[in-house]
Amino acid sequence: MSSAFFDHVRGRSDEVPAGYTAQGLRVYRHLVYLGVSQMIEAHFPAVREQLGEAGWRTLIEAYIRQSTWTSPYYGDLTDDFLAYLARESA
Amino acid sequence: MIGLGYRREMSDWEMSGVQADFFEVAPENWVRRDRGPLHELIAAGHPVYLHGVSLNLGGSSPLNLDFVRAVRELMADLNTSVYSDHLAASGDAHQLYDLFPIPFTQAEVVRVSDRIRQVQDVLGQRLSIENTTWYTNIGELSEVDFLAEVAERADCGIVLDLNNVVVNHKNHGGNDLRGFVQGIDLQRVSYLHVAGHEWDERFGLYIDTHSEPVERVTAEMARHLHQTQGLAVLLEWDNDVPTMDILNQELACLRLSSTM
Repeated sequence: MSSAFFDHVRGRSDEVPAGYTAQGLRVYRHLVYLGVSQMIEAHFPAVREQLGEAGWRTLIEAYIRQSTWTSPYYGDLTDDFLAYLARESA
Repeated sequence: MIGLGYRREMSDWEMSGVQADFFEVAPENWVRRDRGPLHELIAAGHPVYLHGVSLNLGGSSPLNLDFVRAVRELMADLNTSVYSDHLAASGDAHQLYDLFPIPFTQAEVVRVSDRIRQVQDVLGQRLSIENTTWYTNIGELSEVDFLAEVAERADCGIVLDLNNVVVNHKNHGGNDLRGFVQGIDLQRVSYLHVAGHEWDERFGLYIDTHSEPVERVTAEMARHLHQTQGLAVLLEWDNDVPTMDILNQELACLRLSSTM
């Protein structure tokens, strides 16, 4: 499980690392997106409504490419998301 | 014993109506939360086991030993000695909150079992590791040999997830449920997990959704191991949690005497 694996999962690259299947990697990219999208939406439901589907997907995908969350507590993801927004709008 | 994964959706249920002997929770959800509901279950005679998701045993970043110490404190508070996490990575240098496959290689056996030992040293007791669902992976070992060798070298327990074995067999071939069970030392198994899964047309793969009833072959093996090995069985139902009646039906089905 090289960095190439996670680059693909995070959507930084579409390259399929040697030995893995594109099909399986698509599942992981999907599951990571789903987890982050659901958690951020639970905390900021208005944002999703305001952005609409396409805008929301763009925002979450951009965040996943750069997320730096290290806490074992899922809820802390929102802190990292807010820090990301602050970095981006700085 | 037959158990059930305790979900937040159940916080307003009258839990005495649930036909489960024990419950399982994710420690990540309870370290910083009011543990009142768990103490109520324990006071009613139902042990609570811990099954985590964020240890990142297969990851490359240093283990979060402060978190392990917090879990140790939670275990003492809940009077439980049962704690497991997955034989998987939780992310790269950061958490991505999913479970990613560890390459089934000899080098990873050594590296990951060393990390498990590090966790056990802090806990002062055994950890159990769960075999996970994986959707693509690399490595020269079979999954069951990888699991068995890691458990042996780390001298840890195993939470044997029968549903994950079935999903992986459907998706990738390899060992079927019987072959997989034969490949591990049942003395190491702390208890069994069962759940349901779904075919996902978008990916052309079976996905481990924990949102469906348990398949017949999985339930039969669970009952068989329950009867012959005395292994407890835990039902995981994490998404689209049904009514208490339907959960009780599933739990009763796991209790029926085996026909194997």
